[in-house]
This record gives sequence, C-alpha cells and structure tokens, in this order.
Amino acid sequence: MTYRILSAVLAAGAGASLLLAQAKHPDFTGIWQYSVALPGGGVKQVVQGKVVLGAPDASGRNPAKGGVAGAMPATPAPLYKTEMLAKVKDTDANQSKTDGTFYCGKPGVPRIGPPRKIVQTAGELLFFYEDMSGDQYRIIPFTAKHREDVEPSFNGDSIARWDGETLVVESVNFVPDTWFGENGYVHSDAMKVTERFWKQGENMAYQVTVEDPKVLTAPWVQAARVIKPSDEPLIESAACVEDDAHRLTNKDHHLQR
Amino acid sequence: MNFRAAVLGAAGAALLAAGSLWAHHSVTAVFDTSKRIVVAGEMTEVEWVNPHIFLHMKVKAATGAMQDWKIEGGPPAWYRRANVNKASFSKHVGQMVSVDGYPSKDSGPYGFLLKITFADGDSLESVSAAEAQGKGK
Repeated sequence: MTYRILSAVLAAGAGASLLLAQAKHPDFTGIWQYSVALPGGGVKQVVQGKVVLGAPDASGRNPAKGGVAGAMPATPAPLYKTEMLAKVKDTDANQSKTDGTFYCGKPGVPRIGPPRKIVQTAGELLFFYEDMSGDQYRIIPFTAKHREDVEPSFNGDSIARWDGETLVVESVNFVPDTWFGENGYVHSDAMKVTERFWKQGENMAYQVTVEDPKVLTAPWVQAARVIKPSDEPLIESAACVEDDAHRLTNKDHHLQR
Repeated sequence: MNFRAAVLGAAGAALLAAGSLWAHHSVTAVFDTSKRIVVAGEMTEVEWVNPHIFLHMKVKAATGAMQDWKIEGGPPAWYRRANVNKASFSKHVGQMVSVDGYPSKDSGPYGFLLKITFADGDSLESVSAAEAQGKGK
C-alpha cells in the first residue's frame, strides 16, 4: 500500500513537472490555415437562385505585409555559387520538365510549407500536412542530435529545440532531387533547413532559413509568413493524377507550392 | 444539343482573366486565352483529382457524331476553400450542361472551365477575388 501511495505521489509530481515544462513555452497545438499556393480569384455560384460567393484566403502563402516582429531580415533570393548558376537557370527555364512536384512528386521540406496541424507534447512535435502529392506527417523529437540510422528523405531528419519563445526545427539528410523553393532552386545533400515558429497573438509566424555550403554562398532567409489559426478540419486530399503535361506548349509552370 | 464553338473578342477573354493564376501550369501553356468556346452536352463524369479536376462530357458535333470532351477546372483545395465540393458538380452528372471556357491550343476536345451552367439554371463560375468577396468586379 505504501508503495502504491508513493508511486501515485511520484507520478503526480512527474505529471506536474511535465505540465510546468510545457507551460514555459508557447503551445502551437492546433489546426493552421492552408498555406500552399492556389489559383487567384474565387468562385461565384448560383444555387436555386441564390448567389454564393467564395474565395480562398491566401495570406498564409505570401510574405506578411509590413514584415513580422521577431523575424530575421530576409534575403530576396538564394545566392548560388557561380558554378551553379547555369544549372539553376536551366532548371528554372524547364520547370514543367524538371520539377518533380509537377508530376505529383513530394515537394519536401521546406517547399511543403508550414504544417496544417501541429500536436505539441513535451517530448516531440507531430506535424500534419495537406498536400496534393499526398498527405504527409513529420514526427520531430525535442533532442540535440540527429539520427544517423536513416536514409535521406524528402522531408529530412528533423529535431526540435526552443530558442526562448521561438520553436526551432532543424532538418538535414535530404534526398537531393527536391527544390527548396520555386524557380528551380536546387540543393545538394548538404542542405540544412531551419524552420522557426513563434506566436503573433493568436497567429503563428513562420520563417525558413536554407543553408547549403555546397551550392550556396550564404544562407537563404525567406521572408516570414503569418499563419492564421483555422477551424477547417484536415481531410484526405484527392488523389494526384497529372494528365496534361503532354499538352503543354511551353516549359513553364507557376507557383506549384 | 449541338456543340458550339464561339470565338469571342479579346475583351471577352479579359473579363475572366482576373482569376487565372494557376498552381500547376500557366493557363496559356495549354489553352488559347484569346478565344472562348461554349461546349454543350451531357456531363458524364467528375474526376475530383489533383492538381486540377476534370469534367467529362458527351457532345454532339456539327457532323452529328458524338464526341468525348474533357474540361479542366481548378484544384480541389481551391474549390474547397471557395465553398465548392465534388457534389456541386456531380449532382448534375447525367444532365445537360453548358461550359464556357478557353479552347486548348491543340484544338482537341479539351477546354478550360470558366463557367458551367447546369440544366436547372444553377451555375458556377470563376471570378476575380474582389467579386468573390462581394466587392464588385
């Protein structure tokens, strides 16, 4: 009996400590606005004589107007090494041929954007995505060391830490065939992506830094975005069936992500 | 109902160009936005797929022969956030519809959806963001 009481007390104490540890940091748990590129405009329906209007809120896709408090200064475009310039130019000029996402491929981190849903615990983060290539997830432990027993992947190996009130997710070990942005931004197997999340009232600020010493001369700091909370539940994305590449009369595409 | 292809002026095309930012390819990479077509026939299927949906139609050509048409729309994620779902289209499968759109550059039976009018008079059309938000055209 004494043992049971002692166990209960210890368990209660551990739970309290856990709650205390969680309470020290912002909680990003929740559903967040869909922030992948979509066509502009909206839809006007007439249903039984009534007009129904609708337009997506694309604010989470683009840099926040007027900047974001707490953000690092952004770099307009990645600074590639001289020997990479011709390759990037050619990749960009042939986007509909060279971009795997055009053919329903995974965009990978960071092109997949901020997660649609976050579950935050003291030990790990669960990120859920809604993506036309298929709905994906990331399990990100709060730890200081990357795994060494996993193969390169589209979303890389991610670990999380806190920098004050900012949640920092660092990812490495990527396959080299994704892009880290539009316009043919290729990378090497040495790419490191750092995603920073911080609260802006009820919103979530999101900023990405890409480092790749093999191909870039300096880190690329993307402009920060502000992602609104959402009450729109995640649903399974429709299958991806690319069927018009053979009809293209040029090599471009626009804002795949 | 016969298939009718109407070539409209540039002003008509410009009316519907406002919402043309495309997430897969540029509209002009596949479609001739200087022209407009009206395709009328039976809607036989709705493919609710990424990166954009497809509507299938059976259309009687001027020769009297039946022709299978495929109409390309927007991505499901875009429609969903504009209060449109698969049922908005599929409840009209088996009925006559009229599609207003851009013709494909290859002149095949393939078009880009700008507006669809259903047999019961209901309709669905792409409009500018301002119009979709009730701020006028």
